[in-house]
Amino acid sequence: MKHFCIAAGAALASVIAAVVPAAAWQPTKSVEFVVTSGPGGGTDNFARIVQSIIAKHKLIEQPVVVLNKGGGSGAEGYIYGKGAKGDAHKVVFGTNNAYLLPYVAKLGYKLSDLTPVSALALDEFLIWVKGDAPFSDAKAYIEAAKAKPGSFKMAGSQSKDTDQTLTAMIQEATGAKWIYVPFQGGGAAATQLAGGHVDSNTNNPNENIGQWKAGQVKPLCVFSPVRLAKSDPIHDGKGWGDIPTCKEAGLPLEAFQMPRTVWLPAEVPADAVAYYADVMEKVSKTPEWAEFIARTAQTARFMKGKELTEFVAKDEAANAKVFKNEGWVVN
Amino acid sequence: MISRFQAEIATALATLAFGFVIVNGAREFGIGWDSSGPQPGAFPFYCGLLIALASLGTIATTVGRRMGGSAALARVFLDKEQGKRVLSFFLPMLAFVVLSVTLGMYVAMLLYLVFAMRFQGRYGWLPSLATAFGTVAFFYFGLEKFAQVGLLKGPVEATLGL
Amino acid sequence: MENFASLLHGFEVALTAHHIALMFAGVLLGILVGVLPGLGAPNGVSLMLPLTFAMDPVSAIILLTSLYWGALFGGSTTSILFNIPGEPSSVATTFDGHPMAKQGRATEALSFAFLSAGIGAMAGVILITLLSGWVARFALKFSSPEYFAVYFMTFASFVGLGGASPLKTIVSMAMGFAFASIGMDSVSGNVRLTYEFDVLLAGVSFLIAVIGLFGLGELLQTMEEGLRFDGVKAKVRPRDVLATALKLPRYWLALLRSSIIGIWMGITPGGPTAASFMSYAMAKRSSRNPEKFGKGEPEGVISPETADHAAGSAAMLPMLALGIPGSATAAVMMGGLMIWGLNPGPMLFVERPDFVWGLIASMYLGNVVAVIVVLATVPLFASILRIPFSIIGPVIVVVCFIGAYTVGNKQFDIWLALAFGIVGYLFKKLDYPIAPLVLAMVIGDKAEDAFRQSMIFSQGSLSIFWSNPLVASLMAIGLALLLFPLIGSTRRGIRKLVTARAAKA
Repeated sequence: MKHFCIAAGAALASVIAAVVPAAAWQPTKSVEFVVTSGPGGGTDNFARIVQSIIAKHKLIEQPVVVLNKGGGSGAEGYIYGKGAKGDAHKVVFGTNNAYLLPYVAKLGYKLSDLTPVSALALDEFLIWVKGDAPFSDAKAYIEAAKAKPGSFKMAGSQSKDTDQTLTAMIQEATGAKWIYVPFQGGGAAATQLAGGHVDSNTNNPNENIGQWKAGQVKPLCVFSPVRLAKSDPIHDGKGWGDIPTCKEAGLPLEAFQMPRTVWLPAEVPADAVAYYADVMEKVSKTPEWAEFIARTAQTARFMKGKELTEFVAKDEAANAKVFKNEGWVVN
Repeated sequence: MISRFQAEIATALATLAFGFVIVNGAREFGIGWDSSGPQPGAFPFYCGLLIALASLGTIATTVGRRMGGSAALARVFLDKEQGKRVLSFFLPMLAFVVLSVTLGMYVAMLLYLVFAMRFQGRYGWLPSLATAFGTVAFFYFGLEKFAQVGLLKGPVEATLGL
Repeated sequence: MENFASLLHGFEVALTAHHIALMFAGVLLGILVGVLPGLGAPNGVSLMLPLTFAMDPVSAIILLTSLYWGALFGGSTTSILFNIPGEPSSVATTFDGHPMAKQGRATEALSFAFLSAGIGAMAGVILITLLSGWVARFALKFSSPEYFAVYFMTFASFVGLGGASPLKTIVSMAMGFAFASIGMDSVSGNVRLTYEFDVLLAGVSFLIAVIGLFGLGELLQTMEEGLRFDGVKAKVRPRDVLATALKLPRYWLALLRSSIIGIWMGITPGGPTAASFMSYAMAKRSSRNPEKFGKGEPEGVISPETADHAAGSAAMLPMLALGIPGSATAAVMMGGLMIWGLNPGPMLFVERPDFVWGLIASMYLGNVVAVIVVLATVPLFASILRIPFSIIGPVIVVVCFIGAYTVGNKQFDIWLALAFGIVGYLFKKLDYPIAPLVLAMVIGDKAEDAFRQSMIFSQGSLSIFWSNPLVASLMAIGLALLLFPLIGSTRRGIRKLVTARAAKA
């Protein structure tokens, strides 16, 4: 009992310490969360969850306003961030598209127009096929696709985005060939697969969970270095943790994950970057965040500073290689 | 005074120009048909072409009817009196836009409403100012405070610290 | 029968004092955001979203859907009173609603709009109740070719409406398509037609175009004609609301037809906007006096409103059962569902029947509440038109530009709205039809995407559009809608020619 009291006291002290700001910079007016997707998109959910956690735990003293700028696959939001040079009251939420978009489209911003703050999670990608498809594992599906090149269809959201990049990587690694059909978002790709109009998609867990629960689609493997965290069974006694990684399944592909990233405009004070990184780190330690991660079957991974810049450099290089091979690079 | 004929031709020339802008912009992305259907530029290209052709058609038929002595075309499109009325509404509106961009929307709103009521509606200063301030306050509290939607702000808001 | 029992259970969930209070609050807030410029339903729902994190999901969705109904009604109000549609789906309401208001029949127009909207919504909800299982399965059959066929049907029904010069109709519609293709093209990943202006990256918003073409264009024309709103003369009597309600049964055929069109477009992915346009077109085509449309014909208000709301409520079903949002507002609500810990999808009906049927029951109750509240506000709103024009005119201008700015928080959009205002004024004076431009802008890019996705599916073969009975029959209906008026007008032309010849001889 005494031990418990001490432990509780220590925890309380650390909470109090956490509330007292470590950095010298503080927001002086309302903070704008700029979301690089439309309402209801993956990045929108990400930003709004962070907003709700910040509000609940009062992690930022000033009010937080969410602003959707999803035009041009999110480029609109980043260009808005570029225009707000030096303004530390604008925080841009995105994915790896922050540094990948300028490769594939002529856009009015560069990565150097943004200051990296942190990444909070990695979203996962899986190969999904129809629930009643005759393939029991990834290997069988790839072989079938190889046997009839150009007749299997892969659904994804948009062109030259993560889904098509991953499809290109799989094609490169296995020699199979798909017809890639770009839809408006992962939700549409999920229904198209459930309706049997395409043969597979590479959706994130959250985009296909509803269809998996109903047995309309099934996952073959996950493009993650390790298996996903264990979960309650979702369909037929299987949960997220029971899905083999694609490497286990015999696909010569290491990993493909999408970071959920947070940025500030260029030329903001270093203290401001530290302040937001600190806030985001606190967010990533709340039970609400853990619950969100578990429900959407993402991988929790907080990164800031050097770790983040290294991750970005590595991810950028791997994707840029695919873009070059596919002839997507515009500049 | 502008005749209907002049207005028809001027508008058709403007849409013709718009059509060319679209056609020119679309060419960059390929306008043909490849193995996976139309190329990205094809759809806008043909839309632009259609605009241009239909505009030319409008010009041709308008000129044709004019030569045929159509009475409708000789009629007045906008007489002096009408022109004055439209401009008396349009110019303050334009001023409102310019002021919005330079001084912020709330200040522009205030000036515009006072001007329209006091000098165009010939209301007294008191009702004019009261209505203008009331409207501005309504939008300020409704949008900025309640709904947390920000409007364009200028130097005045900055000095007031809003 | 099973559904009926579930629904009764749903009413038990929804019919509490707490929930009814939430409905009233939601509807009132919704009307406010619907009437206020630049807020609109998607904005209103996302504003309330943080408040709902602490609620239980049933209460939260009741609040948000009630807000949505309220906002839809609010949007129709501005369409009728000021010719400014708040939502794409209320554009068609302006065609006859605003002329009615200008003739001093605002009370009648508003009452007709709200009552028929309520009836449409009821039709949609009843369908959901009866056919929930079937609709979900049916919607899965839709892929890109079917999507395209549905959009094609909408265009086809509208093109033949005529009235204006065919050349000018082509200019107007092609301009709409061209505007719709500006910005990111998701099928190819290219940024099109922006001429490297960053402000065009997100495309030209439909709302900006509508604010300019309809709102500002209308004001300029009103000024030129030296007209004031005739509403000044009209007395606003609450009794008129009842009188209008009693007239409604006369339009039973329009109500029935529009409900069917609305439900059909709601469960196929056409959506409320396509439904309202198509319903308006069909009403005009089947009317004995089509020349009255556009000049203040009540049927021109009843038809689009009924279809709009029937489609809006019927479209809730695909959203819940498939997880595809049918509109921006639905997308925000779906985001909400996920935050509350629910996964929209086929299993939602099995896993959380209390939630689903509570929601469906609340759609019945919410719409009744909304119609009552909104009818009570008719006299208030109709009185707005009695304010002298030199005050209300500039206020509408301000409202238009606030709306334009808040769409995307861009200074550029203010200029764009002004430009569209001039275009709207010129087009109206020179008899260019504006409706085709708006329709093309709203569903043009979706139609283009669906067409190109279909071509990727078939690897460039057009035969995909009659590759299965569903898409083939949709295309056949579309072609029939397109060709009938042409055949009709050629026949009339020939007959005229023949009689002229006969007269000569």
